[in-house]
Amino acid sequence: MMSNIINNSSLQSNESFDFIFKIVLIGDCSTGKSCIVERFRNGTYNEPQPATVGVDFSIKTVCMHGKTIKLQIWDTAGMERFRTVTQSYYRSANGVIIVYDTTKRATFLNVQKWIDEARRNTGSNVLLFLVGTKCDLEDEREVELSEAEEMRDYIPEIMFVLETSAKENKNIDDVFFCLAEELKKKHDQMAILENAEEDRPVNISESKPISQCALICD
Amino acid sequence: MGEDLCSEYDVIVIGTGMTESIIAAAASRIGKRVLHLDRNDYYGGMWATFSFDALQRWLKECHNQDQKNITNFKNKTYISQDEILISCGSQSSVSNIDEQWFIPKNVPVNASENSFSKNEKNDFWDQEKIKNLSRKFNLDLAPKLLFSRGSLVDLLISSNIARYAEFRSVSRILTWYNGQLETVPCSRADVFSTKDVSVMEKRLLMKMLQLCAEYKPNGNEFKNFEKKTFADYLKSKELTENIVHYILYAIAMSSINTPCMTGVERTQKFLSSLGRFGNTPFLWPLYGSGELPQCFCRLCAVFGGVYHLKRTADSLVVLKTDMKSICKGIVSNDQFLSTHHLILNVSEAPSSFLQETFNEGLSRGIFITNRSIYSSEKESLTLLQFPYGIKNKPITVIEIGSSTHACPDGLYIIHMTCKQNTNATEDLKPAVEKLLEIEQIDLDPSHSASSGISGFAYDYEIYSGAIDMTNKENQEVKSVRPQVLWALYFNCLETSQCDLSVNVPSNIYLTSGPDADIDFEFAVKQAKEIFKKMYPNEEFLPRAPDPEELLLDDEEIISGDNNSSLTSTE
Repeated sequence: MMSNIINNSSLQSNESFDFIFKIVLIGDCSTGKSCIVERFRNGTYNEPQPATVGVDFSIKTVCMHGKTIKLQIWDTAGMERFRTVTQSYYRSANGVIIVYDTTKRATFLNVQKWIDEARRNTGSNVLLFLVGTKCDLEDEREVELSEAEEMRDYIPEIMFVLETSAKENKNIDDVFFCLAEELKKKHDQMAILENAEEDRPVNISESKPISQCALICD
Repeated sequence: MGEDLCSEYDVIVIGTGMTESIIAAAASRIGKRVLHLDRNDYYGGMWATFSFDALQRWLKECHNQDQKNITNFKNKTYISQDEILISCGSQSSVSNIDEQWFIPKNVPVNASENSFSKNEKNDFWDQEKIKNLSRKFNLDLAPKLLFSRGSLVDLLISSNIARYAEFRSVSRILTWYNGQLETVPCSRADVFSTKDVSVMEKRLLMKMLQLCAEYKPNGNEFKNFEKKTFADYLKSKELTENIVHYILYAIAMSSINTPCMTGVERTQKFLSSLGRFGNTPFLWPLYGSGELPQCFCRLCAVFGGVYHLKRTADSLVVLKTDMKSICKGIVSNDQFLSTHHLILNVSEAPSSFLQETFNEGLSRGIFITNRSIYSSEKESLTLLQFPYGIKNKPITVIEIGSSTHACPDGLYIIHMTCKQNTNATEDLKPAVEKLLEIEQIDLDPSHSASSGISGFAYDYEIYSGAIDMTNKENQEVKSVRPQVLWALYFNCLETSQCDLSVNVPSNIYLTSGPDADIDFEFAVKQAKEIFKKMYPNEEFLPRAPDPEELLLDDEEIISGDNNSSLTSTE
């Protein structure tokens, strides 16, 4: 599981970095997952957004304690609409951000289902984060922060809860910095336990064209 | 949820198997509006990979399938004059299911503590323990390998879908020769290091492979053998018996009846894939073959494809004229959805579309075992073509361990596949009997056969692997056969040889389920052909851009060192 953390995939071209982590976003439709990513990635906010099309994942580099950390942030590609997110979406994720809308109670009530799905499809080392969106809309609030914190206390896998506003750029960076920090911590612990680089799986997109054939060419 | 779907599409795809998923991705990639449905609550259909629990649910569903009522829609509101409604089929494609346990339901704690404390390393397996580890299993209905230079690897790379999947290379190829397992030398290094082959034979083997690799259609080497078998050709080369065996069964993956040129082509294919990713020509997808259709579905969704599981077409709306018939759309959950093209897995096709009853099938076996069929220091990923199945048809054996996420540590999964003759249990017997231990393990002395306590002890020894070097010093570890803990046999349809276009409206395309071959080549080929029929002038899965290419502004590095404003714990 941790073996793919140090994964100098071709996507990262020749820039150097110390760590790369895969983070997946889940949560009900229209909770603002893409807005969070866009605000963090580009510092911009557009409303209202159509369902996400064409965006696969975003990459943002964060510098922390002298280390360069690449965050590969994956969006659901609209597959959450009918709860049809593929299992392969979760594979080798290091962190999962579960998003609910603080102005729509139903999206909060569904958090448990998303946690179950994340548990089913991720490894035991994955970190879960709970993020409420649209906290600028105080008048329309349907979920109190205390409720989310209660949930965090009940469910040990959840590392922390944060309320955000992509519109007012509130707490967005914190979500990802904190994630990066925790993932790095986790990785440092793991690195002591196992030699992560040994026996990595094959990522075929990293392959270089090799013309020789092992058997016949002299 | 509960919201209705948009009602107009360019392509509706029903079934999320490999072929359907590739077509869905290809259509979505060039901007077509795609709706992708599957009647199941999981992806992949007969290509799916399951946890242990999910596999149990699948088995239950297979058993219940006969009782399923196909609701007959008489509702005419969807159709106008000249149009007809055709009910969709739900062909039951799985038969002869045979599930067997070889270990006790659960073992009383004191039994495992007292008797086996000396052997703590050998985890003690009972049914309960397997079930509790359900999620650690990824069991494939259709286990398949990728040739390193095969069409799927090329497609994954050229389309940029490769980033969704990870693989392990098959680490060794075994064969069954003279009543035992042997490693087939694949790479140059293998050939020179092997002890099973003499120096003279090594030269012969290399020379022979070189001839096959260099074969060009106008060459002379294979003249006069065009109508003979590959085995005839090999025999004419004055090779030794074991070299013929290696090439014929393991490298060309053929049988004594394979025509010469087919054998040469297969040998070429094998050789050309060597040395790209590992020691053998093959790759195995981490988490199972069922991941791959999902990767194509993800790409389809990224480009706007709409996904809905647990939903399918109840009926098709077909416009019939004198000359031909055309599908106008489908009725699904009381909603009419129009489409220009309809892709339908053959198991969903109305029976009137199928001209023949299918009589080809696959025999499948899945085994959970406590050790490898051929133990080695490091965990191996093994391919074996067992040559001596029923009527000399080979049985494909793939063995995977925990490093592929197929099973928990300490266990192995063995997949067997061959063409159906009678039923899976019988068809796979030749390989099962040679490779596996299928004695019932009964740890309760009172239930044990007449031998009582001693029988119990004996069972445990085989079972736990206690017969090691320590007990039988002269016996090599590798000759101890793995004990089967659980086995599943079933048969499923194989339609790759059928013409699926005969009675079908011109804009409906039927797709096959998994075929008998070891790789995904057939599914890729069928998907390409169907795509070209729908969109003859469009590119098939052009490279999807990387995220960096979509965003014009330069990536800036931001510093998070001085952030501390978190609302909550640790």
